[in-house]
Amino acid sequence: MNTKRTMTLNLTHQEMRVLEELSNQKDLSKTAILRQALRLYQLVEVKLSEGGKLFFEDQKKEKAELMVL
Amino acid sequence: MRAPIQIVKWATKELVEAELFDEVTIEHFLEAQKEWRPVVIAAARQMVQAGANRESIPRHWHWDWSSKEADLRILAFSFFGITVQDKLQGLMKLETVGWSGRIASQKGKPLAYVDYLETAPWNIKLLMQPLGRSPEFRAIGTRLIEAGVRRSLEEGFKGRLALHSLSGSERFYLDVCGMTAVGRDPAKQDLLWCEFTPGQAEKFLNEGAA
Repeated sequence: MNTKRTMTLNLTHQEMRVLEELSNQKDLSKTAILRQALRLYQLVEVKLSEGGKLFFEDQKKEKAELMVL
Repeated sequence: MRAPIQIVKWATKELVEAELFDEVTIEHFLEAQKEWRPVVIAAARQMVQAGANRESIPRHWHWDWSSKEADLRILAFSFFGITVQDKLQGLMKLETVGWSGRIASQKGKPLAYVDYLETAPWNIKLLMQPLGRSPEFRAIGTRLIEAGVRRSLEEGFKGRLALHSLSGSERFYLDVCGMTAVGRDPAKQDLLWCEFTPGQAEKFLNEGAA
């Protein structure tokens, strides 16, 4: 693995609550959740930059394109 | 990451020094295409001409590692390779985002997913037999799966790892590695979803392949 660098992250109470919820749901540490988020964000950005589109499909099999900023 | 590992010489069962690395480059993909693919195709052709069972003919003859060059810069994907004296013996692509367990007790929990794993054709007995050659090394697949489990641990996934197995490799993942066969996946050509729980992964790392 590459050498790791440390950063301090300030979160609101609400953001921290969501992070803790995700941490519990996914059986992952809060750090691992944030690393997952970074990986996912980059993956989506790369796919969109290559002309890909991101969709969510609901239970009726209807698709809605997701806008990513 | 570059780490010394040991694999096994097929003919003599001697341990052989090898290197495991995750700094895979396009050069490795090109080497796989140039050195491996013609051998896989030649073996598949021999098997077809000899009237081999369709199921036994390798299904990865069309894989193209060089098409994955763009994936090298994506954090969600990890690549691993194994060399012996600078000669590429195996490659694996691992995905660490977007996959979760399918075993009932692991549902929703993230895992590392082996998207591609390939051993150089000269290490596969099934491919060397039709060409009248003996395989060179064994344990390449085992060392790559071990690397995948270790990456799963580093990611906080507790060793959870899964893959869709090609039909010819199912016995390796189930009987040798000790993964659980969860079911065939109609969304993936009916390939078998094989999965390590944290406990199975720990056993595999500690006790080695069966």
